Amino acid sequence: MERWVFITAFIGVYLAVTLAIGLMAGRRATSSVAGFVAADRSFGLLVMYFITGATVFSSFAFLGGPGWTYGRGAAAFYILSYGVLGMAPFYWMGPRAAALGRRHGYVTQTQLLTGRFPSKGLSALVALLSLVAFIPYVTIQIRGAGIVIEAVTDGHVPLWLGALVAYGIVIVYVLVSGAMAVGWTNTFQGIFMVVIAWTLGLYLPNRLYGGILPMFEQIQAARPELLVTPGLTASGDPWSWGAYSTYILISAVGLMMWPHLFMKAFTAKNDDTLRRTVILFPTFQLFLIPVFLIGFSGVMFGRGPDQADFILPFMILETDLPWLVVGLFCAGALSASMSTGDALLHAAASVVVEDGIGPFKLLTEATQRLLMRLVVVAVGAIAYFAALDAESSLVQLLATAYGIVSQLAPPIVAAMYWRRATTRGVVAGLLAGWSTAAFFWLNPGMKPYDMHEGVLGLLVHVPVLVIVSLLTSRQEEAHTHRFCGPIVAGEAPE
Amino acid sequence: MSLRTARTLTALYFVAMAVAVMWPGALVASRIEPWVFGLPFSFFWPALWVGLAVPVLYALDRVEARHRTPDR
Repeated sequence: MERWVFITAFIGVYLAVTLAIGLMAGRRATSSVAGFVAADRSFGLLVMYFITGATVFSSFAFLGGPGWTYGRGAAAFYILSYGVLGMAPFYWMGPRAAALGRRHGYVTQTQLLTGRFPSKGLSALVALLSLVAFIPYVTIQIRGAGIVIEAVTDGHVPLWLGALVAYGIVIVYVLVSGAMAVGWTNTFQGIFMVVIAWTLGLYLPNRLYGGILPMFEQIQAARPELLVTPGLTASGDPWSWGAYSTYILISAVGLMMWPHLFMKAFTAKNDDTLRRTVILFPTFQLFLIPVFLIGFSGVMFGRGPDQADFILPFMILETDLPWLVVGLFCAGALSASMSTGDALLHAAASVVVEDGIGPFKLLTEATQRLLMRLVVVAVGAIAYFAALDAESSLVQLLATAYGIVSQLAPPIVAAMYWRRATTRGVVAGLLAGWSTAAFFWLNPGMKPYDMHEGVLGLLVHVPVLVIVSLLTSRQEEAHTHRFCGPIVAGEAPE
Repeated sequence: MSLRTARTLTALYFVAMAVAVMWPGALVASRIEPWVFGLPFSFFWPALWVGLAVPVLYALDRVEARHRTPDR
């Protein structure tokens, strides 16, 4: 029998196992909104660790990481640098957000925000822009899944079909089981992608160059510019320190502000679980080392693919690996894609229904759950069709999505730590930050020092938030105390 | 160690890391040699800061746990 048949069968088994785990997980959840969105706040350390790791590392890391390394060299090291910086403040912010969630019944971060700063407009605005940021992110995940399946089956399973099957499965288990399915499938997928990345990352340099050091010495002799930061741009010119540094900065600030990651604070069983997840997160981050090694191993390897993002599937196919290794790789890439895609779809639904519609119309729990499921399907469908017709500008859109999401950081920090912040200050800051980021996104030539537009947005955002807050009348002491005052462990919900 | 000291030291580590992996700190590490574990120095540098974050956060957690009423 032909090779691609074995590989397709292997992928089929992998997808079936994922579906089974997702469906079985749902039997553990209650049918409340807290069950669908926050998994009844039940996740322990193992699940939280892999959920967080697998959700952070998406198709962008598994396919884009080697692609960046292959095409842009040391520029990719920015991806290694920001995660821990973004995660560390969550050691304190996570438990505080979780305590406020238990006390006030929050399941999304916008509820936390509008709990402190009551405004329906603010809620709708944040929901809308989160959705705008989500769609390109989901699109990249779906396209990543389709590309991998098409590549490893020699085109026998085209992109449209591979993406449809993989994301059909994601949608089924998210619809049936909500946050429980996302949690338990991500545990499975997280283990898978880490093991496969390390295996391939150590195997490929050894097989092609006889070791990691010999590989880098050959690259040093032929293309030394790839090995020094800040690396190259996509077109092969030297990248600027301004862009390299602000990419790290904006990604660190934006990372935990993604609603699908922030909401993890509401799914943890207790505060120690959240804290230990933060402590262990850097160990997951180091998984980027083998991912970069895979990318570097392509550099000296003859003719490359036309698009850098295809380097990993290309290497896998060109090096004549056994079909089992190819199947494993494909499952790893699908894990990376689906574990982020499911969390994104799930969070998009929660945000649209809880924050975009909830404040304006009183909905029963049953209606909310129905609406969330409709939004999952709708967002999945939009992203799927966008994925079939993808241009290279999508990567640029994701960078812009970070510009949008990072603007949520100042209001979230203010909500939990700054008593003098006011609703008007927060709204003014958000509008100022978003318009500044949008302006520089549309006029990239005007960016000082080639800085990321999101960082420029924050430079305007924070002063506006502070000044407008100080000019408007302060909130009541009792109100601010509930959010910024000491949090007593183990308190009962109000 | 007091809670305040532990928190300050932790915050200092992450500020130092931010400076080290971005401009201007990263200029120092923008070189191929010395090789570490077969990796060029510019690659090893951010990985080192990521790896050291684990013991730093763990030490912080030990101190924080002593100053906390037991969690549920």
